[in-house]
Amino acid sequence: MATGLRLVTERAGNGVGKPVIDTDNGEELMLVHPGVSIVLGNRPPEFPGTLYISNKQIWWLSDTDRAKGYAVDFLSVSLHAVSRDPEAYPSPCIFTQIETPAVDDELVDSDSESETLNLSKITQMRLVPSDPSQLNMLFAIFCQCAELNPDPTEEEESVHNWIFSADQLEDEDEEDEDSEWPVFQNPTHPIGANGNHDLAHSVFQLQINDQRFEDAEEMEQYDKNGHQ
Amino acid sequence: MVLLSSHASATFVFGFGFRFEINLMFVLLGFVQLFFSYFKDLVGREVTVELKNDLAIRGTLHSVDQYLNIKLENTRVVDQDKYPHMLSVRNCFIRGSVVRYVQLPPEGVDVELLHDATRREARGG
Repeated sequence: MATGLRLVTERAGNGVGKPVIDTDNGEELMLVHPGVSIVLGNRPPEFPGTLYISNKQIWWLSDTDRAKGYAVDFLSVSLHAVSRDPEAYPSPCIFTQIETPAVDDELVDSDSESETLNLSKITQMRLVPSDPSQLNMLFAIFCQCAELNPDPTEEEESVHNWIFSADQLEDEDEEDEDSEWPVFQNPTHPIGANGNHDLAHSVFQLQINDQRFEDAEEMEQYDKNGHQ
Repeated sequence: MVLLSSHASATFVFGFGFRFEINLMFVLLGFVQLFFSYFKDLVGREVTVELKNDLAIRGTLHSVDQYLNIKLENTRVVDQDKYPHMLSVRNCFIRGSVVRYVQLPPEGVDVELLHDATRREARGG
Protein backbone atom coordinates (compact mmCIF):
# COMPACT_ATOMS: atom_id res chain seq x y z
CA MET A 1 0.00 0.00 0.00
CA ALA A 2 2.92 2.29 0.65
CA THR A 3 3.83 4.01 -2.55
CA GLY A 4 7.15 5.43 -1.43
CA LEU A 5 8.82 8.41 -2.98
CA ARG A 6 8.08 9.36 -6.56
CA LEU A 7 9.37 11.74 -9.15
CA VAL A 8 7.31 14.81 -9.97
CA THR A 9 7.80 16.41 -13.35
CA GLU A 10 4.42 18.05 -13.69
CA ARG A 11 3.71 21.53 -12.47
CA ALA A 12 0.44 23.33 -12.15
CA GLY A 13 -0.40 26.29 -14.34
CA ASN A 14 2.07 27.00 -17.08
CA GLY A 15 4.93 25.44 -15.25
CA VAL A 16 4.98 28.29 -12.73
CA GLY A 17 6.31 25.93 -10.16
CA LYS A 18 3.39 24.82 -8.05
CA PRO A 19 2.51 21.19 -7.62
CA VAL A 20 -0.63 19.76 -9.12
CA ILE A 21 -3.17 19.57 -6.32
CA ASP A 22 -6.02 17.13 -6.60
CA THR A 23 -8.65 19.52 -5.26
CA ASP A 24 -11.46 17.38 -6.64
CA ASN A 25 -10.58 14.73 -4.11
CA GLY A 26 -10.43 17.13 -1.22
CA GLU A 27 -6.73 17.80 -1.37
CA GLU A 28 -5.67 21.22 -0.19
CA LEU A 29 -2.37 22.93 0.27
CA MET A 30 -1.42 23.46 3.91
CA LEU A 31 1.97 25.06 3.61
CA VAL A 32 4.44 26.45 1.12
CA HIS A 33 7.93 26.81 2.47
CA PRO A 34 10.68 28.17 0.22
CA GLY A 35 14.38 27.70 0.78
CA VAL A 36 14.43 24.00 1.58
CA SER A 37 17.07 21.47 0.54
CA ILE A 38 16.24 17.81 0.19
CA VAL A 39 18.50 14.89 1.02
CA LEU A 40 17.43 11.49 -0.27
CA GLY A 41 19.03 8.55 1.45
CA ASN A 42 22.76 9.16 1.67
CA ARG A 43 22.91 11.29 -1.43
CA PRO A 44 24.19 14.86 -1.40
CA PRO A 45 21.63 17.60 -0.72
CA GLU A 46 19.67 19.04 -3.63
CA PHE A 47 18.75 22.72 -3.62
CA PRO A 48 17.36 25.26 -3.95
CA GLY A 49 13.82 24.06 -3.70
CA THR A 50 10.44 24.71 -2.20
CA LEU A 51 8.54 22.47 0.15
CA TYR A 52 4.81 22.08 -0.38
CA ILE A 53 2.65 20.27 2.11
CA SER A 54 -0.94 19.32 1.41
CA ASN A 55 -3.29 17.39 3.64
CA LYS A 56 -2.28 14.29 1.67
CA GLN A 57 1.29 14.55 0.57
CA ILE A 58 4.62 16.30 0.69
CA TRP A 59 6.36 17.77 -2.32
CA TRP A 60 9.78 19.15 -2.81
CA LEU A 61 10.09 20.98 -6.10
CA SER A 62 13.33 22.30 -7.48
CA ASP A 63 13.41 26.06 -7.99
CA THR A 64 15.79 25.86 -10.91
CA ASP A 65 14.86 22.67 -12.73
CA ARG A 66 11.18 22.77 -13.56
CA ALA A 67 11.17 19.08 -14.39
CA LYS A 68 12.63 18.04 -11.09
CA GLY A 69 10.65 17.35 -7.99
CA TYR A 70 9.77 14.62 -5.53
CA ALA A 71 6.59 13.74 -3.73
CA VAL A 72 5.56 11.29 -1.07
CA ASP A 73 2.16 10.54 0.44
CA PHE A 74 1.76 10.92 4.15
CA LEU A 75 0.60 7.32 4.11
CA SER A 76 4.15 6.31 3.20
CA VAL A 77 5.83 8.41 5.85
CA SER A 78 6.38 6.00 8.73
CA LEU A 79 8.13 8.45 10.93
CA HIS A 80 9.17 12.06 10.99
CA ALA A 81 11.36 13.82 13.45
CA VAL A 82 13.26 16.99 14.20
CA SER A 83 16.95 16.23 13.89
CA ARG A 84 19.26 18.75 15.53
CA ASP A 85 22.12 16.53 16.58
CA PRO A 86 25.10 17.31 14.30
CA GLU A 87 26.21 13.71 14.65
CA ALA A 88 22.97 12.47 13.12
CA TYR A 89 23.13 15.04 10.33
CA PRO A 90 25.29 18.18 10.06
CA SER A 91 22.37 20.53 9.40
CA PRO A 92 19.24 20.69 11.52
CA CYS A 93 16.45 19.12 9.52
CA ILE A 94 13.20 17.25 9.40
CA PHE A 95 14.07 13.59 9.16
CA THR A 96 11.55 11.23 7.60
CA GLN A 97 11.52 7.53 7.15
CA ILE A 98 9.63 6.33 4.11
CA GLU A 99 7.86 3.04 3.74
CA THR A 100 8.72 1.65 0.35
CA PRO A 101 6.53 -0.55 -1.81
CA ALA A 102 7.62 -4.08 -1.04
CA VAL A 103 6.00 -6.07 -3.84
CA ASP A 104 7.68 -4.46 -6.80
CA ASP A 105 11.21 -4.97 -5.55
CA GLU A 106 12.27 -7.45 -8.20
CA LEU A 107 10.63 -5.61 -11.04
CA VAL A 108 12.30 -2.40 -10.05
CA ASP A 109 15.66 -4.12 -9.80
CA SER A 110 15.64 -5.39 -13.32
CA ASP A 111 14.08 -2.34 -14.90
CA SER A 112 16.06 0.52 -13.53
CA GLU A 113 19.61 -0.11 -14.51
CA SER A 114 19.87 3.48 -15.54
CA GLU A 115 21.79 5.83 -13.34
CA THR A 116 18.63 7.65 -12.40
CA LEU A 117 18.04 7.25 -8.78
CA ASN A 118 15.71 4.46 -7.79
CA LEU A 119 13.18 6.48 -5.86
CA SER A 120 11.10 3.55 -4.76
CA LYS A 121 14.08 2.27 -2.77
CA ILE A 122 14.64 5.49 -0.86
CA THR A 123 13.76 4.95 2.79
CA GLN A 124 15.09 8.17 4.26
CA MET A 125 14.44 11.73 3.33
CA ARG A 126 15.74 14.83 5.05
CA LEU A 127 14.30 18.27 4.51
CA VAL A 128 16.69 21.03 5.48
CA PRO A 129 15.15 24.49 5.83
CA SER A 130 17.53 27.39 5.38
CA ASP A 131 16.19 28.79 8.64
CA PRO A 132 16.47 26.14 11.38
CA SER A 133 14.10 28.06 13.63
CA GLN A 134 11.29 26.89 11.35
CA LEU A 135 11.81 23.24 12.27
CA ASN A 136 9.29 23.10 15.07
CA MET A 137 6.63 24.71 12.91
CA LEU A 138 7.37 22.25 10.10
CA PHE A 139 7.27 19.34 12.53
CA ALA A 140 3.89 20.48 13.82
CA ILE A 141 2.47 20.66 10.28
CA PHE A 142 3.86 17.21 9.53
CA CYS A 143 2.18 15.83 12.65
CA GLN A 144 -1.09 17.50 11.82
CA CYS A 145 -1.12 16.09 8.30
CA ALA A 146 0.01 12.64 9.33
CA GLU A 147 -2.94 12.48 11.69
CA LEU A 148 -5.24 13.34 8.81
CA ASN A 149 -4.05 10.22 7.00
CA PRO A 150 -4.76 7.06 8.96
CA ASP A 151 -4.31 3.85 6.97
CA PRO A 152 -7.55 3.36 5.07
CA THR A 153 -7.40 -0.39 4.52
CA GLU A 154 -5.81 -1.56 7.72
CA GLU A 155 -8.98 -2.45 9.59
CA GLU A 156 -10.45 -4.35 6.71
CA GLU A 157 -7.25 -6.28 6.15
CA SER A 158 -6.79 -7.11 9.77
CA VAL A 159 -10.35 -8.22 10.20
CA HIS A 160 -9.86 -10.56 7.34
CA ASN A 161 -6.55 -11.90 8.56
CA TRP A 162 -7.47 -12.32 12.15
CA ILE A 163 -11.07 -12.78 12.96
CA PHE A 164 -12.17 -14.84 10.05
CA SER A 165 -9.09 -16.94 9.70
CA ALA A 166 -8.97 -17.66 13.42
CA ASP A 167 -12.61 -18.71 13.50
CA GLN A 168 -12.25 -20.71 10.36
CA LEU A 169 -9.32 -22.52 11.81
CA GLU A 170 -11.27 -23.47 14.86
CA ASP A 171 -14.25 -24.57 12.79
CA GLU A 172 -12.09 -26.61 10.48
CA ASP A 173 -10.43 -28.27 13.41
CA GLU A 174 -13.75 -29.27 14.84
CA GLU A 175 -15.00 -30.58 11.52
CA ASP A 176 -11.86 -32.57 11.02
CA GLU A 177 -12.21 -34.19 14.37
CA ASP A 178 -15.85 -34.99 13.75
CA SER A 179 -15.23 -36.63 10.43
CA GLU A 180 -12.34 -38.68 11.69
CA TRP A 181 -14.00 -40.05 14.79
CA PRO A 182 -17.73 -40.17 14.13
CA VAL A 183 -18.35 -43.32 16.12
CA PHE A 184 -16.47 -42.52 19.25
CA GLN A 185 -17.11 -38.82 19.48
CA ASN A 186 -20.80 -39.03 18.73
CA PRO A 187 -22.48 -41.62 20.96
CA THR A 188 -25.93 -40.56 19.69
CA HIS A 189 -24.88 -41.12 16.11
CA PRO A 190 -27.49 -43.13 14.15
CA ILE A 191 -24.82 -45.69 13.30
CA GLY A 192 -25.37 -47.48 16.62
CA ALA A 193 -29.17 -47.00 16.70
CA ASN A 194 -29.62 -48.56 13.27
CA GLY A 195 -28.36 -51.88 14.45
CA ASN A 196 -25.09 -51.42 12.68
CA HIS A 197 -23.30 -52.38 15.80
CA ASP A 198 -21.08 -54.74 13.86
CA LEU A 199 -19.59 -51.86 11.98
CA ALA A 200 -18.39 -50.25 15.15
CA HIS A 201 -17.19 -53.63 16.32
CA SER A 202 -15.19 -54.26 13.17
CA VAL A 203 -13.63 -50.85 13.43
CA PHE A 204 -12.68 -51.75 16.95
CA GLN A 205 -11.16 -55.02 15.74
CA LEU A 206 -9.35 -53.28 12.96
CA GLN A 207 -7.60 -51.23 15.51
CA ILE A 208 -6.52 -54.23 17.49
CA ASN A 209 -5.30 -55.96 14.36
CA ASP A 210 -3.20 -52.96 13.64
CA GLN A 211 -0.29 -53.69 11.38
CA ARG A 212 2.06 -52.26 13.92
CA PHE A 213 1.19 -55.11 16.22
CA GLU A 214 1.84 -57.62 13.47
CA ASP A 215 5.17 -56.06 12.84
CA ALA A 216 5.95 -56.29 16.48
CA GLU A 217 5.06 -59.99 16.57
CA GLU A 218 7.08 -60.68 13.49
CA MET A 219 9.99 -58.90 14.99
CA GLU A 220 9.56 -60.91 18.10
CA GLN A 221 9.47 -64.17 16.17
CA TYR A 222 12.39 -63.09 14.13
CA ASP A 223 14.23 -62.35 17.31
CA LYS A 224 13.34 -65.73 18.71
CA ASN A 225 14.45 -67.40 15.50
CA GLY A 226 17.60 -65.46 15.61
CA HIS A 227 18.27 -66.60 19.13
CA GLN A 228 17.58 -70.22 18.38
CA MET B 1 8.13 -5.02 29.99
CA VAL B 2 4.91 -4.69 28.05
CA LEU B 3 4.74 -4.75 24.32
CA LEU B 4 1.85 -3.55 22.29
CA SER B 5 1.56 -4.35 18.66
CA SER B 6 -0.64 -2.03 16.70
CA HIS B 7 -1.39 -4.06 13.66
CA ALA B 8 -3.57 -7.09 13.99
CA SER B 9 -3.01 -8.42 17.43
CA ALA B 10 -1.91 -6.76 20.56
CA THR B 11 0.76 -8.59 22.43
CA PHE B 12 1.43 -7.94 26.02
CA VAL B 13 4.48 -9.26 27.75
CA PHE B 14 4.28 -8.85 31.45
CA GLY B 15 7.38 -9.16 33.50
CA PHE B 16 9.65 -11.34 31.48
CA GLY B 17 7.82 -14.23 29.97
CA PHE B 18 4.12 -14.08 30.64
CA ARG B 19 2.46 -13.17 27.42
CA PHE B 20 -1.02 -13.09 26.01
CA GLU B 21 -2.45 -11.89 22.80
CA ILE B 22 -5.65 -10.11 21.98
CA ASN B 23 -6.91 -10.34 18.47
CA LEU B 24 -8.32 -7.54 16.48
CA MET B 25 -11.91 -8.51 17.02
CA PHE B 26 -11.58 -7.03 20.45
CA VAL B 27 -9.57 -4.16 19.12
CA LEU B 28 -12.47 -3.31 16.86
CA LEU B 29 -14.82 -3.50 19.81
CA GLY B 30 -12.96 -0.74 21.47
CA PHE B 31 -9.48 -1.83 22.34
CA VAL B 32 -7.96 0.94 20.31
CA GLN B 33 -9.84 3.23 22.61
CA LEU B 34 -8.58 1.28 25.59
CA PHE B 35 -4.97 1.43 24.48
CA PHE B 36 -5.42 5.04 23.63
CA SER B 37 -6.58 5.80 27.17
CA TYR B 38 -3.98 3.48 28.58
CA PHE B 39 -1.14 5.11 26.71
CA LYS B 40 -2.32 8.52 27.72
CA ASP B 41 -1.63 7.53 31.31
CA LEU B 42 1.91 6.62 30.32
CA VAL B 43 2.76 10.03 28.94
CA GLY B 44 6.05 11.22 30.35
CA ARG B 45 7.50 7.74 30.76
CA GLU B 46 10.38 6.15 28.87
CA VAL B 47 9.19 3.71 26.25
CA THR B 48 10.81 1.86 23.38
CA VAL B 49 8.91 1.76 20.13
CA GLU B 50 9.82 -1.08 17.83
CA LEU B 51 8.89 -0.54 14.21
CA LYS B 52 7.98 -3.15 11.67
CA ASN B 53 11.22 -2.38 9.85
CA ASP B 54 13.09 -3.51 13.00
CA LEU B 55 14.16 -0.06 14.00
CA ALA B 56 13.70 0.49 17.72
CA ILE B 57 13.49 3.98 19.11
CA ARG B 58 13.64 4.85 22.76
CA GLY B 59 12.28 8.08 24.14
CA THR B 60 9.90 9.81 26.45
CA LEU B 61 6.29 9.30 25.48
CA HIS B 62 4.99 12.74 24.62
CA SER B 63 1.55 11.86 23.32
CA VAL B 64 -0.52 9.28 21.54
CA ASP B 65 -3.63 9.71 19.45
CA GLN B 66 -6.63 7.63 18.46
CA TYR B 67 -4.71 5.93 15.64
CA LEU B 68 -1.98 5.04 18.10
CA ASN B 69 0.38 7.40 16.37
CA ILE B 70 3.09 8.02 18.89
CA LYS B 71 5.10 11.12 19.63
CA LEU B 72 8.37 10.72 21.45
CA GLU B 73 10.77 13.24 22.88
CA ASN B 74 14.52 13.00 23.43
CA THR B 75 14.69 9.91 21.32
CA ARG B 76 17.57 7.72 20.39
CA VAL B 77 17.90 4.65 18.24
CA VAL B 78 18.38 1.58 20.39
CA ASP B 79 20.67 -0.29 18.03
CA GLN B 80 23.18 2.46 17.26
CA ASP B 81 25.62 0.03 15.63
CA LYS B 82 23.08 -1.07 13.08
CA TYR B 83 21.84 2.42 12.32
CA PRO B 84 24.90 4.64 12.79
CA HIS B 85 23.59 7.57 10.79
CA MET B 86 20.15 7.36 12.25
CA LEU B 87 18.52 9.89 14.30
CA SER B 88 19.22 11.27 17.62
CA VAL B 89 16.36 13.69 17.66
CA ARG B 90 14.35 15.79 20.01
CA ASN B 91 10.89 15.17 18.65
CA CYS B 92 9.69 12.19 16.73
CA PHE B 93 6.31 11.27 15.31
CA ILE B 94 5.76 7.61 14.56
CA ARG B 95 2.89 6.46 12.41
CA GLY B 96 0.68 4.07 14.36
CA SER B 97 0.47 1.57 11.52
CA VAL B 98 4.23 0.99 11.39
CA VAL B 99 4.56 0.19 15.08
CA ARG B 100 5.21 -3.44 15.90
CA TYR B 101 5.64 -3.21 19.65
CA VAL B 102 5.76 -0.65 22.37
CA GLN B 103 7.88 -1.69 25.29
CA LEU B 104 6.74 -0.10 28.50
CA PRO B 105 8.49 0.20 31.82
CA PRO B 106 7.29 -2.57 34.19
CA GLU B 107 6.37 -0.05 36.84
CA GLY B 108 4.09 1.65 34.34
CA VAL B 109 1.95 -1.43 34.03
CA ASP B 110 -1.01 -2.06 36.28
CA VAL B 111 -1.79 -5.66 35.41
CA GLU B 112 -5.02 -5.74 37.40
CA LEU B 113 -6.32 -2.62 35.78
CA LEU B 114 -5.53 -3.99 32.34
CA HIS B 115 -7.17 -7.30 33.14
CA ASP B 116 -10.33 -5.58 34.24
CA ALA B 117 -10.37 -3.21 31.32
CA THR B 118 -9.80 -5.93 28.76
CA ARG B 119 -12.49 -8.12 30.27
CA ARG B 120 -14.90 -5.26 30.21
CA GLU B 121 -14.08 -4.61 26.59
CA ALA B 122 -14.44 -8.27 25.68
CA ARG B 123 -17.89 -8.33 27.23
CA GLY B 124 -18.72 -5.36 25.11
CA GLY B 125 -19.50 -3.17 28.06
